[in-house]
Amino acid sequence: MKNFVFVLVIAAASVIALEPPAAAEPGVSADTIVIGQWGPQTGPAALWGSVARGTEAYFKMLNDEGGINGRKLKLVIRDDAYMPAKTKAVVKELLDDVKVFAFVGGVGTATGMAVKDLIAEQKAPWVGMATGSSNFYSPPNPYVFALYPQYAGEAAVLAKYTLDTLKKTKIAVLYQNDDYGKEGLKGIESVLSARGLKAVEKVSVEVLDRDLSSQVMKLKASGADAVVLWVLPTHAAIALGAARKVGFSPQWISSSTLSDAPLMYKLTEGAWDGVVFGSFLDLPDSDSPLMAKYREAHKKYTDPAKERWGVFFYAGFAFAEPMVEALKKAGKEPTREGFVKAMETLKDFKGIMGPVTFGPGKRQGMNSVFVSKCEKGKAVKLTDWIEMDK
Amino acid sequence: MLAQLIVGGLATGSCYALIALALSIVYKTSDVLNFAQGEMAMISTFVALALLEGAGAPFAVACAGTLVFAAVLGAATEFLFLRRAKNPTTLGLVIMTLGFEMILYGFAGWKWGSDPRTLALPISDATVYHAGPVVVSQLNVAMFAVSLLLMALLFAFFRFTRLGIAMKATAQNPEAARIMGIPSGRVLSFTWALSSVIGAVAGMLMAPLVMLDPNMMLDPLMKGFAAAVLGGMTSLPGAAAGAFMLGVIESLFGGYVSTEFKSVVAFAIIVLVLCVRPSGLFARHYIRRV
Repeated sequence: MKNFVFVLVIAAASVIALEPPAAAEPGVSADTIVIGQWGPQTGPAALWGSVARGTEAYFKMLNDEGGINGRKLKLVIRDDAYMPAKTKAVVKELLDDVKVFAFVGGVGTATGMAVKDLIAEQKAPWVGMATGSSNFYSPPNPYVFALYPQYAGEAAVLAKYTLDTLKKTKIAVLYQNDDYGKEGLKGIESVLSARGLKAVEKVSVEVLDRDLSSQVMKLKASGADAVVLWVLPTHAAIALGAARKVGFSPQWISSSTLSDAPLMYKLTEGAWDGVVFGSFLDLPDSDSPLMAKYREAHKKYTDPAKERWGVFFYAGFAFAEPMVEALKKAGKEPTREGFVKAMETLKDFKGIMGPVTFGPGKRQGMNSVFVSKCEKGKAVKLTDWIEMDK
Repeated sequence: MLAQLIVGGLATGSCYALIALALSIVYKTSDVLNFAQGEMAMISTFVALALLEGAGAPFAVACAGTLVFAAVLGAATEFLFLRRAKNPTTLGLVIMTLGFEMILYGFAGWKWGSDPRTLALPISDATVYHAGPVVVSQLNVAMFAVSLLLMALLFAFFRFTRLGIAMKATAQNPEAARIMGIPSGRVLSFTWALSSVIGAVAGMLMAPLVMLDPNMMLDPLMKGFAAAVLGGMTSLPGAAAGAFMLGVIESLFGGYVSTEFKSVVAFAIIVLVLCVRPSGLFARHYIRRV
């Protein structure tokens, strides 16, 4: 009997000893917080892979400044090649094996849709997917925080600018034949129909197309004086080249996905001059102190010969800014629930994007864009931040 | 608009023609459909860019260097990869080219990144000639001329030169050809080198039109393949004619019917041709090689 009691006591003691500390949160250890991100490092959208590398540089900068509440941030990047099936696999790995605390960024609409439920089921927070599709915040999910301005809203801002400021009424649209392009088209058509107008021509392009001559001929035949582009950078460059050849020179207008003016200028051999486009981030040579600091971080933490200081690189900073702010607010022992609550307290938070506001049930944080123009290969700001209609 | 669409179609068709020619040369001599053709051309074009911009070579030197590189790449692909296969079936070899395609694609992404680039050629797409309502660029004219010239040269090469005839003999029966004293291995390597050089020419001429990045050849390769099937994989003039037809059909379809289904047309044509005339419109029909 004595023995039995002894064994019981030992057993109870060992159970207590082995019990992990009560507040063990996935991805949080004594000195680090692990954050996950996927992005196309290869494949047709690899151009946008720099977002993840931007976040990485941002975290390195923060860590050298002492981290967040005493912990360092560790970013784990996985390549999904812009293929939804691969995104699912890498996100599963990040959740189950790497055990990340939260996700930040993640390029693509279809790729993000493939993992949205998976991430939400495990109650892992996800901030700032690099897509303006409305599917991520409508209906709102408690763990999913969208930042990128919605394509349709941005398109509406650009359409109004074209009609009211540029005074062009014969608007045609060249759009990518998928959700990305169609949401842009929808935004433009909504403004036009509200004014009793119609797009003079709507022409689509497939992701892998490399010949746009008949598309451009159609645009030219429509007599459009302004053409809105909701396509990939390559397609925009091909279209401008083909248009120049047949002597078609409308006012070109493009989505913020083509807001990397120096790249577009180089690609089009100067034809990008005069193009008006939406921007969702401060311009690359902006003199704001935050941008100056990030430019230094770019020089310090990457090889500038290989990594260009482009819009999509520092978008990696921008998508992570609200997350970092909320982590600071989440206190000494961050939990996922505490982090979500902290995100909801962000009000008019200003990093290098427009003002960011979240709240209970409000999961689209950024609702502003501004209009820029390409002048001699550089982006020039034409308007202040414009709030989009919801 | 009709005339311009036809001219645009012919211009695009000449891109397809160069690729169709490159594909059919290899197919003619070894029955293998080379899926790596596009990426081999893409890599060669990147080499041209590296020589022009990285090393600052004059255009003629860069061009020559690129063609030499392409020839070596082609020959090496055949010699180092395909010939190592044990008891290869045609299907096995085709799968090997598919694997090689992925290696080259990954390599280009790693080496040169994915930002699209431009390749500065002395022939420009921005310099245009007007003929009535029709506009055509210097580059379009050059491509058209190059594809016709290559087609004619290759046709003559296969018909009249000893090496060309040796290539045809190797295609028909490698064993017999070897017995007759034809070094069929060397002939095959040469075929691949030749095909890769044509691909490189295509890549360099197309770069200003389609932008140079690792994905530049994905679509043109498929279209070149469709064109070759349309015209006949075993007939070089047939493959080129198929390419011009495909370019014009696509352009007219995009202009008058729908841009949404413009790219699908090529594949609808493949299916149709395979049903009606499996050897292609311009190739002699034969049932099976012995």
